[in-house]
Amino acid sequence: MEEELIKNNYTDAQKQEIFDKEFMPNINAMYNFAYRLTLERDDAKDLLQDTYLKAFRFIDSFQKGTNAKAWLFRILKNSFINDYRKKSKEPSKVDYQEVEAYYNSEEVDRQITPDLRVESLGNMIGDEISNALNSLDVDFRTVIILCDLEGFKYEEMAKILDIPIGTVRSRLHRARNLLKEKLSEYAKSMGYKTA
Amino acid sequence: MNANEMKNMKHDCPHQQECLQLLQSILDGEATQEQKDKFMGNHLEECMPCYQNYHLEVAIRDLLRKKCANQAPQDLVDSIKQKVIQNLAR
Ligand SMILES: [Zn+2]
Repeated sequence: MEEELIKNNYTDAQKQEIFDKEFMPNINAMYNFAYRLTLERDDAKDLLQDTYLKAFRFIDSFQKGTNAKAWLFRILKNSFINDYRKKSKEPSKVDYQEVEAYYNSEEVDRQITPDLRVESLGNMIGDEISNALNSLDVDFRTVIILCDLEGFKYEEMAKILDIPIGTVRSRLHRARNLLKEKLSEYAKSMGYKTA
Repeated sequence: MNANEMKNMKHDCPHQQECLQLLQSILDGEATQEQKDKFMGNHLEECMPCYQNYHLEVAIRDLLRKKCANQAPQDLVDSIKQKVIQNLAR
């Protein structure tokens, strides 16, 4: 990654300042990201702490004035893949490329036109949307979090995830269709309950 | 939009998936001003499925932001700060 080529030589005071003013303000967003990736509170805590300590260790490769949030999110995502994904309970996605190819086919695009209305969202006052999000495959839930919750631009997402912008765009589109599909299942089951 | 205007809208969109992709890039702040004007101004006013999709997309984003955020536990935040200070002291 090109950022690692930059080597600053911050003093301890500068390091502390960057950590407090640029890294710490992102800690809630980072914790949420860690939780949505691992889906376990304890793993999320470990992942967050590992990431922050790693960020501090590599603070000299962070360029002051650049996007600290994107830099931190990228470290967290890489730590998750290298250290957590392997041991997570989620079944391994060996055939992920197949999955992605499937969701990218025009065929699926036509099939998935979830029947979901704004009014049914109004009834989802509990954990429905959070559960729906968590039920998506990790790569799909990741793009929704980065875009819809954290407001990253496609270009920033491409850097965080190490994928081309076109893939960001199409993955987001599929992810949102899948989320709607899940929500419309909930809406249906809620409808049955009140009927 | 009033009831009369609603009645005059198309009930089928021949390009619904393409429209949805465009709509999403508009909401994501990734569309050009021209795409935005054309879609939000002309298309949404005459196309019922896309009009509904627009409101659905906005509502889902609102719900996500309201329901899917989490605060880091304070003891964890404190412990991370503490570890960094120890690191500096070394
Ligand atoms: Zn349309």
